[in-house]
Amino acid sequence: MMYTRKPFMFIAFLTLLAGACKNDEANVAPTDDNEAITTVTLTLTNKAVPTEIVTATIDNLNTTADFSKATLNLKANTTYTGVVTLLDKTKTPALDATAEIREKANEHLFVYTPSTGLSLTVTLTDRDTNPAPGPYPIGLATEMKTGAASSGKLKLVLRHQPDTKNGTATPGTSDLDTDFTIAIQ
Amino acid sequence: MMRTSGQMGGITRIGLVVVLSVAVYSWSWAQTITCTSVLKGQILGQDNRQPLVGATLYVRELKTGAVSDSAGYFQLGQLCSGTYTIDYQFIGYKTITQSIVIKQEPLVILNTVSLVPDNKTLQEVVVTEHRSEAQQLLQTQVSLSGAALDQTRGQSLGESLKALTGLYSIQTGPSISKPVIHGLYSNRIIILNNGIRQEDQQWGTEHAPQVDQFLASRLTVIKGAASIRYGSDAIGGVILVEPSAMPTQPGIRAEVNLVGATNGRMGVVSGMVEGAFDRKLTGLSWRLQGTLKRSGYVKTPNYYLENTSYHENNFSGDLHYDHKNFGIELFYSQFDTKVGLFTGAQVGSLADLYTAISRPEPLVKPDFSYSLDRPYQAVQHDLFKGRAHLHLPKGGTLTATVARQQNTRREYDYVSFSGITTPELYLKLVTHTADLVWEHAPIRTQSGGQVGQWSGSVGFNGITQGNVRQYLFLIPNFRNYGAGLFAIERYAVGRLTLEGGLRYDYRWLRAYFLDEVTRKTYYTTHNWQNANGSLGIAYQLRPELTLTGNLSTAWRAPNVADLYSNGLHQSAVAYERGNPNLRPEQALNSNLVLAYVGKRLSGEIGVYSNRIDNYIYLKPDSVPVVRQRGAFPSYTYDQVRATFRGVDASLTYKFTEQLAFTTKNSLLFAYNKTDRDYLVFIPPNRSDNSLRYDWSRWGKLAKPYVSVTGLYVARQNRAPSVTTRQENGAVIFTGDFAPPPPAYFLLGAEVGFQTQLGKQPLSVILSGTNLANVAYRDYLNRFRYFADEPGRNILLKVKLPLAFPKRT
Repeated sequence: MMYTRKPFMFIAFLTLLAGACKNDEANVAPTDDNEAITTVTLTLTNKAVPTEIVTATIDNLNTTADFSKATLNLKANTTYTGVVTLLDKTKTPALDATAEIREKANEHLFVYTPSTGLSLTVTLTDRDTNPAPGPYPIGLATEMKTGAASSGKLKLVLRHQPDTKNGTATPGTSDLDTDFTIAIQ
Repeated sequence: MMRTSGQMGGITRIGLVVVLSVAVYSWSWAQTITCTSVLKGQILGQDNRQPLVGATLYVRELKTGAVSDSAGYFQLGQLCSGTYTIDYQFIGYKTITQSIVIKQEPLVILNTVSLVPDNKTLQEVVVTEHRSEAQQLLQTQVSLSGAALDQTRGQSLGESLKALTGLYSIQTGPSISKPVIHGLYSNRIIILNNGIRQEDQQWGTEHAPQVDQFLASRLTVIKGAASIRYGSDAIGGVILVEPSAMPTQPGIRAEVNLVGATNGRMGVVSGMVEGAFDRKLTGLSWRLQGTLKRSGYVKTPNYYLENTSYHENNFSGDLHYDHKNFGIELFYSQFDTKVGLFTGAQVGSLADLYTAISRPEPLVKPDFSYSLDRPYQAVQHDLFKGRAHLHLPKGGTLTATVARQQNTRREYDYVSFSGITTPELYLKLVTHTADLVWEHAPIRTQSGGQVGQWSGSVGFNGITQGNVRQYLFLIPNFRNYGAGLFAIERYAVGRLTLEGGLRYDYRWLRAYFLDEVTRKTYYTTHNWQNANGSLGIAYQLRPELTLTGNLSTAWRAPNVADLYSNGLHQSAVAYERGNPNLRPEQALNSNLVLAYVGKRLSGEIGVYSNRIDNYIYLKPDSVPVVRQRGAFPSYTYDQVRATFRGVDASLTYKFTEQLAFTTKNSLLFAYNKTDRDYLVFIPPNRSDNSLRYDWSRWGKLAKPYVSVTGLYVARQNRAPSVTTRQENGAVIFTGDFAPPPPAYFLLGAEVGFQTQLGKQPLSVILSGTNLANVAYRDYLNRFRYFADEPGRNILLKVKLPLAFPKRT
């Protein structure tokens, strides 16, 4: 009896081992980022001449960013109205993240920082609905005033500040941090 | 959340009521307090008064035992004071059962036991299935059981092991704690949960072992390479989580454990009920066990840590049947946890990290709450195990074990704008293991008048795993197979024991990827094989002095994270890249331990050296990675030659029968030989000193004690230097993000006693940690950049065993 039991157990093992491979792992799910931002577009409209529109786009932000269309050529001593849009192209159809941020405007803030030497001032023109001491600016809509001819970078940072938004960049974490190239002629 | 806090209050209240009731009930004797006693004795055959070689003594309460040497002598260490039931067993002899009482004495010498031959039962009475598995190995080991284990109840596995020398833990906030043995962790350590190799994505530094600490009646740690018996990967050591032996006496027994803590307002309730049958069902026993744990925001001396709540729900069931020459067992356990991660440690990018590091305190300092939101981890671990053993008529025991584990890990990051409810990371790992071990019956030899004994085992280990991921990519889908064959033989003669082992392993790994452009699956395959050996020696220099030495090799094939990680590790603020060209790690481990047990002084000093060739670690890249959220430091897996050397020393000195001083010291020196630099995340030296006073009784309280503990942890001065440089206008740190924090000293105290609640014994422990409420940071906490460690904590632990003996 002992001699039949031993091989039986061995066979039982092997069956269990073999039965273990269902091969689920061979079906690979695509990489899916819940909150990817692939594309940022900055659109500036000349306030005096509304038909004069300049746009710059940074693509593939979630992998190796494409800066080939990231340059804005602006006129000196001109006032522009600015609008920023964010897209997640990893989803089909592409997801408009701008709309989601607008919905949660009370915990988001866009911070525009022109590099030193670049003669550009940015004013945030939209307001959230935070209670007093709010409301605070959001930064989806801006007014940009150029000065003398110069060139440099415009850093765009989106801060996520749940329950901590106070109008400054300090609280929270960055959802987006990238640079546009600006040339003022 | 409100309901949760209601439950918490309930648990604490029950605990208080139990404690208050204590004084009302009458006093009676109970067991277990200090655990340094050593038991010695001799076993003879009554027929010829000759020593019995290889006879066993088995302590029922501790589920442990010892085997007599060639002169019939045995020795069993680390016993707590208490009453024990001892079975003396030997093939062909009648088992003798004896009850003994151990008080405070360091050395207990028992009267010589004479076993009477039994002509009716010639089959072997083997205690293999009761004996702590690790004791079959001649290797440096320490364990935690009885009262010492009770003192750590309510803590996670990683935290409770820190009571042992040479053991540390890597933490991610207050609730995630990963054990570290002699500086090694993650896949370099094997955790055997109830005999099964735990597979729960242990490569992640923020992945704590999914093991219910209350399941264990003994935690044993083998320090140093123990690959021969437990498989490749165990370069650092093995942690054995062993439940208590199944009941043999008919009737039902139960045990209730309650733990309440002020910090985090934590409450834990753990219950166990077990029973055995008689008459026609003799040999059948069962056990059900479960644990419920809840904790809210943990408080540092100055502020609460937001979102550091913790939930854990576990249960297990065990069914055993033992017959004359065979036994079968079935075990199922489920571990379910939800761990909140400290929100203050969440950073979007390197720039955020630097800002957070420069802040002396977190920006958000909320009030206490039990709420648990993103970011958090939700992990479930299921284990099913079946085991059968058979005592072969021709000698020896054959044990077969099969197990299936399923680990489902969901990690939820902070979401900014999408309001999405799915996790960012999902990993499901299914592991099947199969083991077959044959332990041969001891063989006695006689040469030159000395009686020697050979004992040993051979075995096969098989493993296969399938991993499926979803959402973000961190590690790929994979399938692996592993097979190992081993043989261990031990020879004991006189005061000398020798042990040698050999093992051969084969590993096969296939990782599956998706081509994002063509949407087609492709795979890459690796395989490795390796042979390893070990040699051990133990020599009793004097009856109270034993020297143990060990030399062993071990290896670890690169795991899937080492080879193919590719992604942003948001919580680590790092972009990690695998390296498919990695070779296996090869370790050479040696250690020497001198153990002394005297009348007043007892202790152990161990030195070790572990050289690892092709040691795999994350090497910082020179260029950071830029993604949507900004710049991240980037790391790639690389290999160097590393050495880990250290000293573990523990000593106890009894000034009087009541007053004892214990010192536990762990020193570790690790070095990257290839780059001539230090390694990151190496535990700093630590010294744990305590003074303890025991009474035999105090009014209605039995065995009350008071102890005061001072823990000193040095600053880690042997860490890579933190350097900075400019990269694209941003400051990039190399080596680390901040220098190691300063040394710290923590004061702790404990009061414990036993009493009688009706007819049931009740044990109570009241302890306090960080009593001086010191604000400090620990080098091994990954969140040390952001916040202080927990402040003062007062814990109350109550254990109530309940017995319902069967009436006949």
